[in-house]
Amino acid sequence: MKRITASLILTILVTLSLVNAQTAQTGSNGKSAINSPVTLKLPNKQDSVRFVVIGDTGTGTHQQLELAQVMLRYHQVFPFEFVLMMGDNMYGGEKAVDYKQKFENIYRPLLDQKVKFYAALGNHDDSNQRFYEYFNMEGQEYYHFKKGNVSFYSLNSNYMDKKQVDWLNEKLATDTTTWKIAYFHHPPYSSGGAHGSDTKLREIVEPIFVKHGVSVVFAGHEHFYERIKPQKGIYYFISGSGGKLRQGDVKEGSPLTEKAYDRDMSFMLIEINDKQMHFQVISRKGETVDGGVISNPRKTS
Amino acid sequence: MRINPVLAIVGAVALCLVTVHQSAKGQTAHVLSPNEKQIAETFEQRAKAYTKMREQLEAQMPKLSKEAKPEEIETHKKQFQERVRAARTGAKPGDVFTPEAATYIRAIIKDEFKGKDKLEFRDTVLRESENKEVPLRVNYPYPESQELLEMPATLLMRLPQLPKQLRYRFVRSNLLLVDRENGLIVDYMTNALP
Repeated sequence: MKRITASLILTILVTLSLVNAQTAQTGSNGKSAINSPVTLKLPNKQDSVRFVVIGDTGTGTHQQLELAQVMLRYHQVFPFEFVLMMGDNMYGGEKAVDYKQKFENIYRPLLDQKVKFYAALGNHDDSNQRFYEYFNMEGQEYYHFKKGNVSFYSLNSNYMDKKQVDWLNEKLATDTTTWKIAYFHHPPYSSGGAHGSDTKLREIVEPIFVKHGVSVVFAGHEHFYERIKPQKGIYYFISGSGGKLRQGDVKEGSPLTEKAYDRDMSFMLIEINDKQMHFQVISRKGETVDGGVISNPRKTS
Repeated sequence: MRINPVLAIVGAVALCLVTVHQSAKGQTAHVLSPNEKQIAETFEQRAKAYTKMREQLEAQMPKLSKEAKPEEIETHKKQFQERVRAARTGAKPGDVFTPEAATYIRAIIKDEFKGKDKLEFRDTVLRESENKEVPLRVNYPYPESQELLEMPATLLMRLPQLPKQLRYRFVRSNLLLVDRENGLIVDYMTNALP
């Protein structure tokens, strides 16, 4: 009798493990993200600057993990070198264990393949994240780095004070790179119902972007994807559903929207080659929800 | 020499429009009165006195690497908090935000947020923000699990400049001074919202 009971318990445990393993690989709608086809629509040239844009990730949930798994699958066919993080890298606590649960454990396979993450700070992020080894912030809340013919400006939109504005102006004034890209947490333009456009931030940074030839701006904060109609020649994107989703939050018929996706979480694949920037937006189910090409980067006015 | 009245009216209207436009953009160069200048300087000196003290304490600690492990970040922050808290025992509200400084800052905020801006800003700070549970206690840490509400960029251009180690933050209708590294609430002033 004891043997039968033990066998029964063992069988139940094995069955539960299998069910758990299956659940981990399946989205909430039951459709497997792991097995969805990888459909790359980018040129994928060896000499391109290839990267991912993702925002508002730091939840540590299985949905964040699922999206990371889709990113990993795309990395196998599109070996992006680095990931831009739009902030809110860590929701809730920021103890050592949180760094592991909400970041390292989620992106470990990409970290192991030497993919670098370049973070911006969101309104849920402690300033000390700038010292974190995997965020590559050089101990600064705002910083700059170059990859090929592309300049990246990671800004701290939580606190756009005079010091940061002066730094940005000075840095851009001497930047002769073909592509100048800025990224930060709060979106200057947004069709989100919960937050919307950050007009006070826009009032300060947009004239600087226009003057110094910034072509593309990435932001997060809104938990969806949105491509804004070009504003003053600048392409604005929101990619803020890397760990959280605000379903149905994009205002229908917004005059700002070129394309939006708020039905599931997503990330952006970007490829820059000479004077063209290609982008493809991938959902948690592995589907392409937007894509296109931006040609001829802006010049300093 | 006679001035053409039509030209004078056109000129006056144009001047008004330019002033209104600049004011709406928050870019009016406000010239500080000697009294305002004195108040701002005193406030900035008090903020600097705090940062000088905390810099001396930080210098005695192991330096945090730019490629630190999460455990190192956590330990550094905790130890830094403990040292500053011990050094500032007895710190109280108003040590940096003197009554004069608080009045001066309230006036700047009131001037920055008018009409629709004021309503939107109050809405963001009082309704939308998730940081309502932050206890207001000088020399205690800002809870790390709580949102740090974005400071409006146009307002930051007008407020007295702080040393790089300090940040202004809104919690409910209060304006806080927070140390960006150790997360301690250095001081706060009440009724900051217009």
